[in-house]
Amino acid sequence: MNPPPDEEDSRAAPRPRVPPTEAVLSEPSLSDLDPVADAADRWGVTTTATDGGTSTQDSLDPDNYDAVDVFSGGALDLRDGSDSCYKCTSCNTSCPVAEVDDSFPGPKFQGPEQWRLKRKEDQDIDESIMSCSNCMRCDSACPSSVPLSQMHNEARGEYVAEQMSKLSREYVRNRILSNYRFFAGIGSKIPRVTNFITGLGVTRWAGEKLLGITSEREFPAFATETFRAWWQDRGGAAIENPDKRVAYFHGCYSNFNTPEVGKAMVRVFESFGYEVLVPPQKCSGTPMFANGMVADARRHAETNVRELVAAIGEGADVIASCTSCSLSLRQEYPELFDMNGIDDLAAHTYEGLEYLRIHEDLDGALAEAAADEDADSYAYHAPCHARNQGLARQALETFRQVDGMTIEDVGDSCSGISGTYGWKTEKYDYSMAIGEEMFDHMEAATGETGMTECPTCAMQMEHGTGYEVRHPLEVLAETIETAS
Amino acid sequence: MAITSDVLVIGGGLAGVTAAVSAAREGADVRLISHKHSTMQQASGLIDALGYLPPTGDDAELTPTAGRTGAMDQRATPEGPLPEPFAAVDRLPEGHPYRLVGAEALRSGLALFDEMVDSYHGAHTDRNALVPTFGGSVKPTARYPASVAGGLASDGAPMLVVGFRSLAAFDARQVAGQLRETGVPFSVAGRELTLPAGLADDMTPTRVAHALDRDERLDGTPARAALAALIEPHLDAVKGGAARVGLPACLGDERVEAVCEELSDRLGARVFEIPMGPPSLPGLRLSDRLYESLDEAGVRYETGNPVVGVETDADGRVDAVLVDRKGTEIPYGADGIVLATGGLVGKGLDSDREGVREPVLGCHVPHPAERYEWYVDDVFGDQPYARFGVATDERLRPLDAAGGVQFPNVHVAGATLGGADVAREKSASGVSLATGVVAGRQAAKVAATGVVG
Amino acid sequence: MRGVDVTLVEKGNLTHGTTGRMHGLLHSGGRYAVADQASAKECVEENFILRDIASHCVEETGGLFVKRPEDDESYFQAKLQGCLDCDIPAEVLTGREARAREPYLADDIEKAITVPDGAVDPFRLCVANAAGALDHGATVMTHAEVTDILVEAGEVVGAEVRHGDGPRTSGRQPGSTDRIVADHVVNATGAWAGRVGAMAGVDVEVRPSKGVMTVMNTRQVDTVVNRCRPKGDADIVVPHETACILGTTDEEVDDPEDYPEHRWEVDLMIDTLAELVPILKKARTLRSFWGVRPLYEPPGTGTEDPTDITRDFFLLDHGDRDGLPGMTSIVGGKLTTYRMMAEQISDHVCGKLGVSAACRTAAEPLPGSHDIGRLHEMMDEFGLRSPVSRRSAQRLGSRTEEVLQTSGPNPVVCGCEGVTRAEVRDAIDDVGAELNAVRLRTRASMGTCQGGFCCHQIAAELAPDHSAATARTALDDLYQERWKGQRHALWGEQLSQAMLNHMLHATSMNRDADPARFDTEVSYDAFDPGRPTKETPVAADGGRPDGSEDRWR
Repeated sequence: MNPPPDEEDSRAAPRPRVPPTEAVLSEPSLSDLDPVADAADRWGVTTTATDGGTSTQDSLDPDNYDAVDVFSGGALDLRDGSDSCYKCTSCNTSCPVAEVDDSFPGPKFQGPEQWRLKRKEDQDIDESIMSCSNCMRCDSACPSSVPLSQMHNEARGEYVAEQMSKLSREYVRNRILSNYRFFAGIGSKIPRVTNFITGLGVTRWAGEKLLGITSEREFPAFATETFRAWWQDRGGAAIENPDKRVAYFHGCYSNFNTPEVGKAMVRVFESFGYEVLVPPQKCSGTPMFANGMVADARRHAETNVRELVAAIGEGADVIASCTSCSLSLRQEYPELFDMNGIDDLAAHTYEGLEYLRIHEDLDGALAEAAADEDADSYAYHAPCHARNQGLARQALETFRQVDGMTIEDVGDSCSGISGTYGWKTEKYDYSMAIGEEMFDHMEAATGETGMTECPTCAMQMEHGTGYEVRHPLEVLAETIETAS
Repeated sequence: MAITSDVLVIGGGLAGVTAAVSAAREGADVRLISHKHSTMQQASGLIDALGYLPPTGDDAELTPTAGRTGAMDQRATPEGPLPEPFAAVDRLPEGHPYRLVGAEALRSGLALFDEMVDSYHGAHTDRNALVPTFGGSVKPTARYPASVAGGLASDGAPMLVVGFRSLAAFDARQVAGQLRETGVPFSVAGRELTLPAGLADDMTPTRVAHALDRDERLDGTPARAALAALIEPHLDAVKGGAARVGLPACLGDERVEAVCEELSDRLGARVFEIPMGPPSLPGLRLSDRLYESLDEAGVRYETGNPVVGVETDADGRVDAVLVDRKGTEIPYGADGIVLATGGLVGKGLDSDREGVREPVLGCHVPHPAERYEWYVDDVFGDQPYARFGVATDERLRPLDAAGGVQFPNVHVAGATLGGADVAREKSASGVSLATGVVAGRQAAKVAATGVVG
Repeated sequence: MRGVDVTLVEKGNLTHGTTGRMHGLLHSGGRYAVADQASAKECVEENFILRDIASHCVEETGGLFVKRPEDDESYFQAKLQGCLDCDIPAEVLTGREARAREPYLADDIEKAITVPDGAVDPFRLCVANAAGALDHGATVMTHAEVTDILVEAGEVVGAEVRHGDGPRTSGRQPGSTDRIVADHVVNATGAWAGRVGAMAGVDVEVRPSKGVMTVMNTRQVDTVVNRCRPKGDADIVVPHETACILGTTDEEVDDPEDYPEHRWEVDLMIDTLAELVPILKKARTLRSFWGVRPLYEPPGTGTEDPTDITRDFFLLDHGDRDGLPGMTSIVGGKLTTYRMMAEQISDHVCGKLGVSAACRTAAEPLPGSHDIGRLHEMMDEFGLRSPVSRRSAQRLGSRTEEVLQTSGPNPVVCGCEGVTRAEVRDAIDDVGAELNAVRLRTRASMGTCQGGFCCHQIAAELAPDHSAATARTALDDLYQERWKGQRHALWGEQLSQAMLNHMLHATSMNRDADPARFDTEVSYDAFDPGRPTKETPVAADGGRPDGSEDRWR
């Protein structure tokens, strides 16, 4: 049972609600994919005959033997990722999970050490890989550019495929959490009913007892109208401009839960004269990578790559408002998948504020802006995934110059929730221990409104302090309007 | 161009941060860009100015043979530890960065450091301090964190060294034995303890630090009390009773001073940290504090993306550097540029079988063409590779192969510079501070006056 | 095993000679199938025996002989036929099938022949044999150098040994000598056989020839990859433990202990073998080392190129050959055929001594190889991460449980190779404070960082049984030995590693200038004793207090 296609189709013929277990049993096994046959024919050209023809220069170029090219379509062999490692353990010192979870040895072991100790057929990824939250802070800490999160993602995928029972509660729960888009697609059709049900204590209790989803957190509420529905109602783009085009990758959360973020994105970009496209799209795969559901992520990636590459072909750059979505498209996609155009997609993807800072005179647009000193006092948290894109300081820099606005950085710790990690019963306490530092700094900050680009960080910030949390694009949209 | 500043500092380690703050104090609008976290978290967290004048003269041209494995027994005695770093500067080789910028720059660098980081000791005197190392020796240093101060080797108070069984990096009994052999003027004993239940065998030192910072309950008891209770019975192990207790440097992150204070109170003895190699909590704390001082100085910074190229004008003046944002290159413009990307460890210098290079701007790196002349047989000998780096004029502008200025508005600082054997001299941080200050001032001057000649 | 009273003397550690410096290849015989079929047949026979009796020392990787477009087709056919002639199981794969098995093989490799090559760990194998000998009542003396062969009345009656300096377990005083009287002396000294022979006054013309081996950081291939062309330089890649070893060259040397280690040899390995596995060109090397082959050919054969000298072995009874009874030399041969060589010499000696018991070494597993199958079930018990417990179990074989069941924390001491404290201490118990011997047994410090991060951790395990001074010397020896091989890998990531190691050991630890090593008198009172406090307002050098409140000075 595949997740439903785009909303436009599904609105015509509502689909019956399918119980989760059925959805799970039909996952294609990774062993069905045949990396072996693919590797031999990786450039779509049959290898030469045995008559001793001369070799081409290409065949001896070491750069043509990258893991993603050589092992395309199936499990990667990432042992040579350990070549860059010089054992400085910087990755371990930046790992928020290792700091609070005794059973977690840290990225250095999970990545380069574990891979290097592995032989090709060994299936003994240590189970601690499932304790990695995929925050990817290790990547930005490593001075040698070891492909740590790539190694972790691949190990995790292998662990789930080969060593985890598909009937175990852990597997079922993780699959459900990873496929948020599927369930949100259903729940958002009857938002008020869904919100009522998920808001009940008994629902949270059942989630914990049956699946291991923590009852400590409140399920996110669905908006009464999804972003895509609003976009369709509105009639699509309000501006036509073939020279300034952006394709918006809204992500699951901005579509189903916080469409105001998407609306703000549209307002801001249209105010700078951009034509906004909203192509058909699926989940960026972030929760799937984090849970080792690489095949699910690949399926969604096929749609995303196809649609977004087409948009790039029409002159658009791809904009994401969720920093995990943008990181997934820019890094995890080219690292783990070998699809036509995936490198172009990565090169053309930006986060929203990032794009404007590079291509527009944002400073000029904000020069005359004024903020409300009481309301516009923000405690900003840079999501871990934003750090890896160099975006940790951009909100601060942008908004600091606005007259009357206060914005403070609540420190460089991880928020602790890291997507699906903090939703798991057995990880909840760890996620709160990790986030403690951020909560302390938020309470100490002047402002009582949080700001962040990541939807799950926002959930955590609210959960730990009760603050309302806004997206920088929302604040930007309002602030720019005060200048005009 | 959207992203511009007066001064752009490439590299976020000790040298880069020092240069950025130094330039900001001259009134420049400064942006700092760093690809990854600083390598300070690999270093002990101590600030070394100059500790030794190491012996030179090993022959790098000998063909390696199977029989000649490195004359450890013939190793010449190094001069040191030096009680006073400044006086020895003139005796360093000509091309050494300290000779280029002068001992005064080292003083300025240390003074700026003292302002940026007020939790370090050592400024009350010009002399070096001797700090016990986790290898069991003592090393000279110029500045040390408050949490280390209790363990100075020139202090005669009896010392108990405590290790944790699950921390393989040192055995306290061995450390104590080694310290005795270096002739320290205090009685010392070592004991190995098993950490409280709840902390696994291969957990990282940051786990211990976190547990102590937050005073987590381990098996019911708050961590600090639990640790003190473990140590207490061993205070008598050293003659005269321990007046101070040294532990591996993982006694906390944000709250290390509070942790040390509480442990000291509970034990009735000064508790101090013994600096370790990576992962180094003191190095991590130092890095955090330096980034706070960047913010305080009004420097804008970003980390996560590498500089991969440069745009220059006809005179070699750099107009902009190109920053790689996951596949797209964005130009960052500036008038004055500081290159502080690190050396072989920080990845500011790169190499392959053909040669050694500086990969970001393409500065010339002098080195022998024959790669078997990059090393000598004695592992602790006068290693040529340890001195690799960019050669500069006295304004720290990089020189090309012919000796002319390669980029007139670029100033190089820190480990990217050649000419120093920082490992054996114990001078790495001092070089970063001294050249960071000078590079920052020079870059700010270029931005202010527009003059590069 | 046959009841003979045996004393083994070795001038260095076990594996001091060629055994410790070989390629790690368990020959299928394929390499000799065309030009040296006698050797080929011996190899394939012993290959299958060793898989049984030494299963914890052997990895059954399989092997390939790959043909590039420019390699001679007729040689390919000759190789295939030769294998079949020598009863070496062999099959032909297409290039595509070969790459299915080893994806990093070059794209234009046309086809390959499969053979039952394997990877063998010579240290483990040798240690297992020594353990077996000890179990059966032998005496093993390491660091005991033969200084003279004792000849009385025209007969060899024994040997004189001098015990070496440094830690070893034979329990004798360093510098002392011993006379060992024996009914028969076996000269199994390999490349040194000529020197030992000379002590007895006989000529044994060994022709030592060196070959380079370059160690990669990781396994680009998991199968032994041979080039299918007549034997030459740089034609084989052997997976070994966590790494791959590239080999080799063949240059005759005068002195098996001292000869040049040339850069061109290392470059040749990488550049030529990159024709088979292109990624080798940019992959990280950890070190290079050289071994010396103990080649021998009967006097008068007159082969010039050492590559052409036979790899067959020879038993030289000096009574028959030189009129000097009481001593037999066994020379030539390969590690793969060691057991066969041992059987033959033992048969010969037993014949001389009138012992009639038969050889059982082909059937009886060596210590460590009993009951290997059970290991997999037991791994979870040790409380170690899966890959670490698996690697430990591979090294320890049937001794795994005995070694790893420890009380007290058992942290990993060498992270690169997954070696825990229990294993390191077990090795120290065996060999004393000689950390290079500990390294050979456990693989600690043989990984990515080449000991930069673990040499001192290994040395820390010498406490409390060994003194600080002993530990310091042992650590220096190990660290310097690691440098000896790394100097051949100093570019790219390994140069960066070397610099980080240098900073850690010199700057953070100050081991290069350790006052204890140099007997330097440090004037402690000339240094900063701490910031002045209210109790001690003036610092040692007259510095003034800064007035801040600070509890620990």
